[in-house]
Amino acid sequence: MTKMENVAIADQVDHSSHPSTFMGKYIWSQDHKVIAIQYSITAIAVGLVALVLSGMMRLQLGFPNEFSFIDPSSYLQFVTMHGMIMVIYLLTALLLGGFGNYLIPLMIGARDMVFPYLNMLSYWTYLLSVTVLISSFFVSGGPTGAGWTLYPPQAILSGTPGADAGILLMLLSLAIFIVAFTMGGLNYVTTILQARTNGMTLMRMPLTLWGIFVATILGLLAFPALLVSAIMMIFDKVIGTSFFMPAILSLGETLDHSGGSPILFQHLFWFFGHPEVYIVALPAFGMVSDVISIHARKNIFGYRMMVWAIIAIGGLSFVVWAHHMYVSGMNPYFGFFFATTTLIIAIPTALKVYNWLLTLWRGNIHLTVPMLFAIGFIFTFTHGGLTGLMLGNVVIDLPLSDTFFVVAHFHMVMGVSPIMVLFAAIYHWFPLLTGRFLNNKLGKFHFWGTFLGTYAIYLPMHYLGFLGVPRRYYAMGDTDFIPESAQALNAGITVSAIIVGLVQVVFIINVIWSTFKGKKSGRNPWQATSLEWQTAQFPPGHGNWGKKIPQVHRWAYDYSVPNVKDDFIPQNVAPKDVEYLADEKNNNNPREK
Amino acid sequence: MHILKTLRVKPWLPAELEPQTNLPSALLNKEKSASTALQFFLAVITVVFLLFTITFLQRTQSFDFQALSGEPWLPFTSANILWQNSAYLLLASISIILAKKFAEQQSLYAIIISLTATTLFTLLFISGQVQVWQQLNQSGFYITTNPANSYYFLLTGVHALHIVGGVLVFMRCIWLFYFNLSYQQLASRLKLCARYWHYLFFIWLFLFCLLTSDANTFKTIALICGF
Repeated sequence: MTKMENVAIADQVDHSSHPSTFMGKYIWSQDHKVIAIQYSITAIAVGLVALVLSGMMRLQLGFPNEFSFIDPSSYLQFVTMHGMIMVIYLLTALLLGGFGNYLIPLMIGARDMVFPYLNMLSYWTYLLSVTVLISSFFVSGGPTGAGWTLYPPQAILSGTPGADAGILLMLLSLAIFIVAFTMGGLNYVTTILQARTNGMTLMRMPLTLWGIFVATILGLLAFPALLVSAIMMIFDKVIGTSFFMPAILSLGETLDHSGGSPILFQHLFWFFGHPEVYIVALPAFGMVSDVISIHARKNIFGYRMMVWAIIAIGGLSFVVWAHHMYVSGMNPYFGFFFATTTLIIAIPTALKVYNWLLTLWRGNIHLTVPMLFAIGFIFTFTHGGLTGLMLGNVVIDLPLSDTFFVVAHFHMVMGVSPIMVLFAAIYHWFPLLTGRFLNNKLGKFHFWGTFLGTYAIYLPMHYLGFLGVPRRYYAMGDTDFIPESAQALNAGITVSAIIVGLVQVVFIINVIWSTFKGKKSGRNPWQATSLEWQTAQFPPGHGNWGKKIPQVHRWAYDYSVPNVKDDFIPQNVAPKDVEYLADEKNNNNPREK
Repeated sequence: MHILKTLRVKPWLPAELEPQTNLPSALLNKEKSASTALQFFLAVITVVFLLFTITFLQRTQSFDFQALSGEPWLPFTSANILWQNSAYLLLASISIILAKKFAEQQSLYAIIISLTATTLFTLLFISGQVQVWQQLNQSGFYITTNPANSYYFLLTGVHALHIVGGVLVFMRCIWLFYFNLSYQQLASRLKLCARYWHYLFFIWLFLFCLLTSDANTFKTIALICGF
């Protein structure tokens, strides 16, 4: 054995692994940056499918029975596929597979993930899961219409749309996705733990990495619950076991099932489902922290508390799941326990919101497009978080359960908020990928259209929920307690949704145009301190760091340090290399003493 | 606690500005990375089996649950074949440790014998499990006739799949050794394989105890767990 084991990452580059062919560079690539882009393109593509599905749902709700291609079955299929695609195949994949892959090695000063081949397999397995899912649109009976929660017994009983091939393809696709996520997740956590460059202690990592790190651990521990429930449901459906299926009459026929517990499925599903909220939210929390800090030219307020809060939220997210099940007939003491834990998890979450605000407080705020989206996120997340606190209380949840209030809540907190961060992140890190800015004017138009448009959708939706308008209904029919005006409101929401959808087209045009024709950004255009902006080659090439990996000397938030010439000190600048203001060098900056 | 100490660090203070050059984490140690990844993977496997177990224990309390041992006519009142299978897996686990030891000693023939033994005993375990399934079917204990049967097939099947996955990685390791792995690299890979085998052996022992318990044991467990 050579000295290999004690050689820094920089010296372990296998130059023979530099791909030279098109296939090697862009298709079967093991480069984390290419894999990140593959993940992102796939996730956004499938997300656009889900966006179109939501548009069709809105058409039916806003203008009932006007569109012949939307019948009750297809409506339920749209609801189901929209929900599952958005939560799993878009948000989880884009935040961890996309941003996680791109940023982890660059931010910790590594050349790549520790297992590049596994990383590549992870993407192709993810693509397989997406393909299996999308194939359910083309099988007899279409995709499942069981609702994104896939509750048995109805998910696998005839009468539910897609109860034959559709549900099986969905479950199979989820199982494949979990395999893909596990491969990727093992890579992310191991890379962060084992491949950090010299000087990059855990507490010097940018919060983006903390968010991704803890979210990945959550995913590794929570996705098995979905895998277990998917396997057991496949057994119930295909083999005829009774894990979740009780004795039941279906369409007048007594089925062979007996003794299974549908509630058990709900527990398993939500044991995955609630951490899933934070699998999406934590990377978003991390990224928005960095965007706010960089564009306010101020160190993040309460870094340690932010780290602790991410860890606390991660831990607590495993003991709140049953607040999704208050109406399942649970023991009141059980409900009380979960209401309490739900209120407790709000504490570290609120702490983060305060810290974002305090970072902005008296900062040198640059209202760039990423910053606009980040500030927009604070609004939408606070909004969604507060309605979450309401729904976390049993007495409020019971009357509002299964109404549009719940739909509005989780779209604000889990749909709009992470997507605001995703946009902030895309506008922020786009120059790192391409060396060009996204168009500023189109970006601002995109922000205001999205921000105001989503409020125009979801604020009235809360009111519909208060009126008692139920979710997942194809049509209201004659419902005495719902006034006529509710329909006018629904039509307005649909118009807003279509406008928001069209605004996203502007974003896509902006991305395509700016990739080739956008204004050149130059190196480190936001004057950020974190390592991903300090690469030798810009945008970073294969291997990231040229001949030598960086040495880290400080945390990631040295902005506006007193008496220092620039208003930022990159993480790889040694104390002796810091440039001070001309007559201040001997003025003893306490930070650099 | 190291992690608590880490989390108490104040990275913005002057003392924290010193370049910290002696971090072991700054060095890429492939074996350590693989070891870390394996630890997380074992955690994932643990969660999978833990969740299956919880659902199983809950199901043991339903009216239609019939334990698979405790009465003379039940299949696992005498579980000789399962003991035999356990012995195979144990022997596989031991032989893989020997293989690792021989790899460190660079003793080629001993490596070949011990690797063959590992493969053989593992395959015997899997075929033994398949044999149990066939016997259950022949005795009328079909997968759908009782939740205990369903869980038996499910849990042993998932366990066997994990073993098969391990065998594939193990075979790749032998393949690479045949072409270009050094003895030391082989030993470090076999060390990780051994850890995986031991873990799956312990999971099997746990499943063995769980699935062959009688009705009274399940009642006691349920009482303790509050089901």
